[in-house]
Amino acid sequence: MSIDYILSILGPMLEGAQMTVLLFLVAIVISIPLGFLLMLAVRSSIKPLSWMAHTYIYVMRGTPLLLQLLFICFGLPMLPVVGEYLVFDRFVAACIGFILNYAAYFAEIFRGGVLAIDKGQYEAAQVLSMNKWQTTTRVILPQMFRIALPAVANESVTLVKDTALLYAVAVPELLHFAQTAVNRDFTIVPFLVAGIIYLIMTLLLTMFFKWLEQRFKFE
Amino acid sequence: MAIIEIQNLKKSFGKQEVLKQITFDVNKNDVVAVIGPSGSGKSTMLRSLVHLEKIDGGSIRVGGESLVQDGIYSKPQEIKRITSKMGMVFQHFNLFPHLSVKENLELAPRLVKKESSKDIQKRSTELLEKIGLSNRAASYPANLSGGQKQRVAIARALMMNPDILLFDEPTSALDPELTGEVLQVMKDLAKDQMTMIVVTHEMGFAKEVANKVIFMDDGEIVETAHPDKLFVSPQFERTRTFLNRSFK
Ligand SMILES: Nc1ncnc2c1ncn2[C@@H]1O[C@H](COP(=O)(O)OP(=O)(O)OP(=O)(O)O)[C@@H](O)[C@H]1O
Ligand SMILES: [Mg+2]
Repeated sequence: MSIDYILSILGPMLEGAQMTVLLFLVAIVISIPLGFLLMLAVRSSIKPLSWMAHTYIYVMRGTPLLLQLLFICFGLPMLPVVGEYLVFDRFVAACIGFILNYAAYFAEIFRGGVLAIDKGQYEAAQVLSMNKWQTTTRVILPQMFRIALPAVANESVTLVKDTALLYAVAVPELLHFAQTAVNRDFTIVPFLVAGIIYLIMTLLLTMFFKWLEQRFKFE
Repeated sequence: MAIIEIQNLKKSFGKQEVLKQITFDVNKNDVVAVIGPSGSGKSTMLRSLVHLEKIDGGSIRVGGESLVQDGIYSKPQEIKRITSKMGMVFQHFNLFPHLSVKENLELAPRLVKKESSKDIQKRSTELLEKIGLSNRAASYPANLSGGQKQRVAIARALMMNPDILLFDEPTSALDPELTGEVLQVMKDLAKDQMTMIVVTHEMGFAKEVANKVIFMDDGEIVETAHPDKLFVSPQFERTRTFLNRSFK
């Protein structure tokens, strides 16, 4: 277990980690706003919209992410007629899968955040003559985001680890390179290195969210 | 001159009749204390005035304008305009926790009033001075004591320049040693001729500051009188029973 060996595998593994980070960034940047919109749809007074959003969330949370990824990568192209238009690059397909799945989780987190807000907040806004839009944007949503922050942080850490599912759809990422090296060199060192790289990523992420929580403590 | 006229107010929650034919007037510059046992409908009555509860029957007029007439509400814009003449202070303050004290005061006027930012700031500075919290303008509600929070809530309501201020047990959530500072602010308002309706358990305050006390029981107004009269020689057995229990 020499330093030289570790250095020699570190190059390809960090390259794999780039894929992991890229997927993470794409997924988080799109699924959070999407989850927010989904939460609005769930809370909408337009019944069909609310019902569809509910169903969507139920399906996404009720089935394994791995199944969804396999479905998008390998299932969609097999559909009759439309299938041929649904062949994506594996990485793109994986991004779509992660976004669709995580949006459902974020929607639930945001919904919980809204529900946690005391009804006195709406009443105070009403007696101060604020309209529904002003109340939502200036009173409810800022508090919702603050309440949701710890859960969002938690979900983001899960996302970092879930990126390893790229392995299953054969996109070369961190874990893929580790596995290759393990098979080739008959040593578990690459797994340890991969573990440490994941830990560093989740540590940085956790620190970022801790900073956000501190920044928006309202004390 | 009556600034609020309430006639035959009726309200039920499901089968339970919470307000039965409530009728009373509030004159300009009145300080009306509403007392009564828990569950007698005091909060519901107060909340009906600012349309936080919808009544089933009766009429409410504010400043000569009809909010609801024989159970039929005016148009939404009318309701908004009429209820905006009243400010409300809640038992649990309901300050906006994500905003500083100054922002709590200025948020609604900035969004709702057609006023210059300068005028709004001037007023918030004056009001903070008045409630003795000039040095806490940048603090968040989480860092204030209960008494301070309630004083901020009063200032926030005053920022909208209401004609009438409603209080629903403003001191009931406070530690006893903190009620004084809130009651003092309310006394100052009364001295400045603010028209107020105060639901309260503070008999001392009612005696000292109110010019009219309404005793409610079981959804009805049992007795209305000047505090000197109501507390000294109540006309009804129910009032006597309640007062005896309150002063025990
Ligand atoms: N939203 C509601 N749904 C159903 N019942 C309600 C609701 N609000 C109040 N009530 C009932 O109406 C009755 C009157 O309540 P209200 O809050 O007006 O009484 P109160 O005089 O303010 O009492 P307290 O001194 O405890 O604050 C009570 O029996 C209460 O349980
Ligand atoms: Mg009450």
